Amino acid sequence: MRHVRRWFAKLNSLIRRGHADSELNREVSAHLALLEDEFERRGIPAEEARFRALRAYGSVEQAKQLQREERSVLWLEQSLQDLRYAFRSLLKTPGFTAVALVTLALGIGANIAIFTVVNAVLLRPLPFQHPESMVRIFDDLNGAAAKDIGMSIPEFLDLRARSEIFERVSALVPASTALRGGGRTDRIEMLGTSFDYFQILGVNPELGRVYGPADAAPGFTEAVVISDGLWHRQFGGDPGVLGRRILVDEDGYTIVGVMPPGFRNPGQTLAGDVELWAAAGFIGDPFPSPPVRAVRLLPGAMARLKPGLTIQQAQQRLDAMAAQLTQTYPKEYPAASRWSLRLEPVGDSLTGNVRPTLMVLLAAVGFVLLMVAVNMASLLVARSSGRMRELAIRQALGASRARLIRQLLTESLLLSLAGGVAAILVLTLTKGSLLALMPADLPRLSEVHFDARVLALAGLLSLVTGILFGLTPALNASANDPNNDLKEGTRGGTASLRQNRFRSALVATEIALSVVLLSGAGLLLHSFWNTLRVNPGFDAKRLMVARIWVPFPNNPAANPYLTAPATARLSHEIMRRVRTLPGIEEAAMGGNNSVPLVYNAANRIAFTLPDQTDSPQKQHTSAIAQVTPEFFQVLRTPLLRGRFFTEADTDQGKAVVVVNESFANQYLRGRDLGQRVNFGGAESEIVGVAGNIRDDGLDSPVAPRIYRPLYQVPANELAIFLRGAADSSGLQQAVTGVVQSVDPNLPVYGVRSMREMLATSLARRRFSLSLMAVFGAMALFLASIGIYGVMAYAVSQRAQEFSIRMALGARPSDILLIALRPGAILTLAGVLVGVLAAQGATRLMSSLLFGVSPADPVTFIVVPLALAVAALIACWIPARRAIRVQPVAALRA
Amino acid sequence: MKKRETGFREDFTRLSSEGKSRIQVLQGTLDLIVLRTLENMGPQHAYRIAARLEQISEDLLKLNQGTLYPALVRLEQQGWIKGKWDKTENGREAKYYAITKAGMKALGVETERWRQLSGLVEKLLGQES
Repeated sequence: MRHVRRWFAKLNSLIRRGHADSELNREVSAHLALLEDEFERRGIPAEEARFRALRAYGSVEQAKQLQREERSVLWLEQSLQDLRYAFRSLLKTPGFTAVALVTLALGIGANIAIFTVVNAVLLRPLPFQHPESMVRIFDDLNGAAAKDIGMSIPEFLDLRARSEIFERVSALVPASTALRGGGRTDRIEMLGTSFDYFQILGVNPELGRVYGPADAAPGFTEAVVISDGLWHRQFGGDPGVLGRRILVDEDGYTIVGVMPPGFRNPGQTLAGDVELWAAAGFIGDPFPSPPVRAVRLLPGAMARLKPGLTIQQAQQRLDAMAAQLTQTYPKEYPAASRWSLRLEPVGDSLTGNVRPTLMVLLAAVGFVLLMVAVNMASLLVARSSGRMRELAIRQALGASRARLIRQLLTESLLLSLAGGVAAILVLTLTKGSLLALMPADLPRLSEVHFDARVLALAGLLSLVTGILFGLTPALNASANDPNNDLKEGTRGGTASLRQNRFRSALVATEIALSVVLLSGAGLLLHSFWNTLRVNPGFDAKRLMVARIWVPFPNNPAANPYLTAPATARLSHEIMRRVRTLPGIEEAAMGGNNSVPLVYNAANRIAFTLPDQTDSPQKQHTSAIAQVTPEFFQVLRTPLLRGRFFTEADTDQGKAVVVVNESFANQYLRGRDLGQRVNFGGAESEIVGVAGNIRDDGLDSPVAPRIYRPLYQVPANELAIFLRGAADSSGLQQAVTGVVQSVDPNLPVYGVRSMREMLATSLARRRFSLSLMAVFGAMALFLASIGIYGVMAYAVSQRAQEFSIRMALGARPSDILLIALRPGAILTLAGVLVGVLAAQGATRLMSSLLFGVSPADPVTFIVVPLALAVAALIACWIPARRAIRVQPVAALRA
Repeated sequence: MKKRETGFREDFTRLSSEGKSRIQVLQGTLDLIVLRTLENMGPQHAYRIAARLEQISEDLLKLNQGTLYPALVRLEQQGWIKGKWDKTENGREAKYYAITKAGMKALGVETERWRQLSGLVEKLLGQES
């Protein structure tokens, strides 16, 4: 209690310093007067009495100082003093202060921005209960180097039975679905799960309830949960939506709950956020009964580990389980395929593929801040050489070195903290437009916002930056002999040799750092260039795509498109009508997985080539798609060998396939066409080889692919490829009209031009490239300013020397060379160190590169050259001034 | 051996004199002494307190009068004493410090603590010899 009281009193006296001081003065003089009276009373003459009173009192100033120290918080009082002083001295040099603030705000702001994203995407725990014990389970065929091949239902049931590993397991089946309502049919993103999906996540609905183990059924259950977005869009946010019956893919369901707005399924989806969750037991209709071990129907699974189990321990138990299953079912799990089950933390599988990009950006932006700090240090050294006289006077008046350092540090900290505050302000104001720059497919993008951790980092960054750039110049400036400085100072303040050398070292460091940054940017630029030059395998000009979801009711009798002839009739009719749309010249269609660039190679089938001499045990995998005969012509994909499909390739004809170039290179190896390929229990003949079409990004290798005729195999996903329209605007409505004139239950979605799709697939690369380019430009700019500052100063210092040389007959070109030399040496040293450092640093970004090695010779010749040119220009401007020196004027100065 | 002086007033005349061995005031002890003095004598100004201390200590405890100020400000900030400007009998102004209620209580506690400590030290020293 009394300590609290005392602190308040101390703070009070700190705030009312003037009052407390005058009170003290009054008391001391009263005290002295009393003493004096006492001596006078004893007959001592007045003069003598005053003297004795002072002696009896002891040192007045010391007494006051002791009282002040006791009364107040001395360090705080001094800091406030320093702060006031720092304010004044910064205001006195507005130019310097403005430049410093802008560079600091840029450096710190860029770091905060990138960290905010890293924090939201990689660091912040997923918004679920105990996310650390949530895992994804993947099936791998290590023998075929195939990862995440999907899970069969018996495997899933095996996993559910292993209660010593998992508390709960849920299948994850992303699907498209057709939702009827409001007089139209929309395609929405659905997620099929097990009954305890929501219990694994540990989340609560915004409205109603979630389904749970109590709803268990062999097939799909009645109860479904919808997203907040769908609730508002389709049902106007009506709370009466609970208990509402909806028709999804012609099946009836009842809405039992609405998830809160921020809730998102932690995993991949097909085309947008999940809007409908439905649960199934996966052992009754529409799933095969009894389940088949060799058919991998489930795209994925998620589980919560048994409490207390680490992922490593769980993985060990899972390995044992896989080994046991391989022995029990040798036919389903051929030894050569080396089937295994792999666990991955949910967070990693969600964000794993952006981690390298973000880490490289974080490192790059850290470099930028380092450069800002170095630049600031260099500026401060220049500034303190102009202030040497002031510092010397303060030192001569008794300021200790520590006090001077504190004063100078206060100044740099004030600058960096102000820079940090400015950065936060600017970021808050521009948040919306900055987020719009981010690639839309970045996971957890919606969670990007400032939180306590970001603010703490902003504070810490400002503090560390302030100390980093302030400490060395402060130590440097305060280490001078005040005697010398006072003398030197009379000539108007010149930097000592030591300070010049220190600044030169700083500038060389800046050049080295910017070589590293620019090399990173250069490598990304070269990679981007390489990506742009990749042939996508189709001609994107005036090519549009629209997707159709064909409802797949649980009751087969309700599905009119279950046979190949039905699919063929539907496709023919749609194409016939679509060709009449204005501007459309050609049309083709594809089935499941036929749209390029949308990561459609995940669903792979296992196949064998019977007449191959390889071990029959060896399993091959291939992506698969269905297309109409016109597909390759409309996309302008070349035929390499054999033939494309014809109208005669129906279910009445023999089963034929066309394979892509990757398939031919990997499996046919020069063998003739006419090979038979065996998959799904049937044989097909390979009749042609088509060029590769990029199935994921332009920078990803093309998977081997088997194309089947759409008229031979039914499809529940259709895509229309249209050539002729200039852009996709208005096309959604037109195509929807055409398709629904054929069948009003078919929703059309994903209408886009192939150019847009190409741009989207490049978005992430473009994003990291543009950021790196901005950082590189900042680095180049900072380094140029730095070297310019040092050179300009050096030239002005040597004006006298130059004029003497000129007076003695040196030609301007000689002077120019002499003036340029120190700058050239600095640049060379910086570039050399930078190239060495960059060789190491760029290795870390190899996963972001495409078609270039981390030691790309083009980058490592162009970047140092560009930097050297920029640095030499920065040197040349002040050097030119050296030859304009008027000898007489300079000598007199 | 130390010779008893005629009175505290004499001390001021011999301030800069010999380096007699004097007791260093223990941290916190000065506060206790000041409190006790104020309790005994009623409100006093700094000068009178200092004079009183020297008188009682018979010159053994000798302070520069200025060293009293930190103790006074400390005690006042803790709320144990309260200062008030007033006139002396000679019409001079002076700040009079009076012990507060909280100060009285603290004095009791601190005195007790001091007694315990000194008793303990006494005991230990007695054992040693």
